[in-house]
Amino acid sequence: MKDNVIICRCEEITLGEIKSEIKKGARSVTDIKRRTRAGMGLCQGRSCEILIQRIICEELNLSPEEVYPANDRAPVRPIKFNILGAELNEKV
Amino acid sequence: MNNRINNHPILGKREEKEKVEIIFDGNKITAEKGEMIAAALYANGIRINRYTIKYNEPRGIFCAIGQCTDCSMVVNGIPNVRTCITPVEKGMVIETQYGLKRSGKTND
Amino acid sequence: MIEKELVIIGAGPAGLSAAIEASKANVDVLLIDENQKAGGQLFKQIHKFFGSSAHYSGVRGIDIGKELIQKCEDLGVEIWLDSVVIGVFPNKQIAVEKKGKGLKTIRAKKIIIATGASEKVINFEGWTLPGVMGAGAAQTMTNVHRILPGKKVLMIGTGNVGLIVSYQLIQAGAEIVGLVDTASKVSGYEVHSAKIEREGVPLYLDHTIFKAQGTKEKGVTGAVIVEVNKHFQPIKGTEKEIDVDVVAIAAGLKPLSELANMANCKKTYISKLGGWVPLHNENMESTEKGIYVVGDTTGVEEANTALEEGRLAGVDVAAKLKKLSNSESENIKKQINKRLKDLRLGPFGEDRLKAKKKLIKEYNKYIKAQRPVNDYNTGPKAVIECNQEIPCNPCESACKFGAITIGEPITNQPKLDEEKCIGCGLCLHKCPGLAIFLVDKNYDNKNSTVSFPYEFSDLPQEGEMVEALNRKGEYLCEAKVLKIKKLESFDKTPIVTILVPKKYADQARNLSPIGAD
Repeated sequence: MKDNVIICRCEEITLGEIKSEIKKGARSVTDIKRRTRAGMGLCQGRSCEILIQRIICEELNLSPEEVYPANDRAPVRPIKFNILGAELNEKV
Repeated sequence: MNNRINNHPILGKREEKEKVEIIFDGNKITAEKGEMIAAALYANGIRINRYTIKYNEPRGIFCAIGQCTDCSMVVNGIPNVRTCITPVEKGMVIETQYGLKRSGKTND
Repeated sequence: MIEKELVIIGAGPAGLSAAIEASKANVDVLLIDENQKAGGQLFKQIHKFFGSSAHYSGVRGIDIGKELIQKCEDLGVEIWLDSVVIGVFPNKQIAVEKKGKGLKTIRAKKIIIATGASEKVINFEGWTLPGVMGAGAAQTMTNVHRILPGKKVLMIGTGNVGLIVSYQLIQAGAEIVGLVDTASKVSGYEVHSAKIEREGVPLYLDHTIFKAQGTKEKGVTGAVIVEVNKHFQPIKGTEKEIDVDVVAIAAGLKPLSELANMANCKKTYISKLGGWVPLHNENMESTEKGIYVVGDTTGVEEANTALEEGRLAGVDVAAKLKKLSNSESENIKKQINKRLKDLRLGPFGEDRLKAKKKLIKEYNKYIKAQRPVNDYNTGPKAVIECNQEIPCNPCESACKFGAITIGEPITNQPKLDEEKCIGCGLCLHKCPGLAIFLVDKNYDNKNSTVSFPYEFSDLPQEGEMVEALNRKGEYLCEAKVLKIKKLESFDKTPIVTILVPKKYADQARNLSPIGAD
């Protein structure tokens, strides 16, 4: 697989960039996320997290159980600021 | 290239739906009422929705259910609208998205 | 804050059937889905379902969806469509962007998370070209939007999704130019494969896609596939170029469990179920009490198992909310479990059955490892061993926290309120009968401590090892003296605290120096 193949579609992070961070010491999906922004784009890792996990397994000879997914936090779907920050209207 | 499926062995004959006119990159496109923007464009032979910010690469429908955001386009001036889950409206102005914006240049 | 008895997130087959079961038992249900229509993946499934008649076998997915939604409407289930749950927070609070109404917060007594699964991907050179899409995407476009994604489709993956979608694309008028899999045999049901093989679709087993080719203007226009060896490495020289306008990737599904994860539901990795899955017990309850996980969220299987899991959760919620009697709910659950077992038979089902059993086992392991809340480090508590009616009540006034009551007449036996007792030990030296002890059951993982008054001249030192004795003066074990408390106010009654293994917490009541008679 050529190093210039895109892994994170949203942020356009390549295989080469991810491998390079692993060589520099990245060990987890969260490490890769923080160093490259892979998984931080609009889809929030929905496409690439599984690819990043596979790459870490291959590069570091780990099994999938040992590569934890990134943490999930609110909002789990995109939401506009003006909705999030608006006054709560409890009248359903 | 009209990709609409007119006759289907299970789904039957396509219902005639009310036509809705939308504008894509300055051109008039005929869509159907209730149709998703991306589907309407695809039916009219358009399957490139945006170009990416870094490598200026074309993207189109990938998941079709509003999760991957590759179908994002600028709709009525608002970018990052997921067109595969947004229905068309009469007179909607749809533009190919370049990077995160509407202009024809990337990294604007 | 809106209050609801049960909030179900996700209106696919699992969510809908949970809503139906709970509603039948008069639970106040709110069903939320981010899509414009309920039914989840059912509306893409134009093929007839497998299973038994209880699972709508022989019925097309779209029709099952319609029936479930109708049942919900008949039962008056409140449904919010086009509404996105953005988070599940502690105390079972949910934040949801309700269509057109902004952000709402809901506090639920019980939550069922039925958020389904999403497609996995594989990457290869050119996979970002327009026209390369998930198999599910091709299915959505064809069956829901009635748009043919392309005329020449290369399908990657021979699991059931790859096989079924290939068949549906052929029905819609496309040509499947090839079906590719790195495995040596088809991964899905043979009967699905047979349907497309007899349409003349070429099968490329032991192959993988090397790259997708295309242009910036047109998207994908061709693909190169290559044979792989038994280590799944491409064999040079076996490349085949194929003209395509769509490459569909059927690489399997993975559970969408973000809401369960952020609500602190524990998960484990089980590849047969699609990857990381939230743990649950036989009632579909996760490791967070009151939060249930059902359907593909907790293991990618099929719509019929999702239906049953949803029913299980719905029934258990109704029982826990006391809307269904225990015997009624156990009866219904028994029937559901029998059907679930039937669905997990055969060479395909067995793997999933094993996987689900493993999941429940992990759940039990996790729960056991957690200390139950009321045992966890409550500290020492007084134990009053005074069982005769004698006129005596200094213990009552000794306790500054009102934990000991005798009342009138003072011959009443003392009653201890453990909640009020803070383990200060003041009562120990006040009791003329020396009948009050202090026991810290969970001092640590293995040991307890026992404190008692010791009015003898061979009072040990702190740190010394002594023999722990029971109520009959019999030897129990060696014990370390942790503390000796001698205060003026104790009036010459020292309080000794010794460390003993947990099993002696209720027996050790005295000590003697090591080697004494």
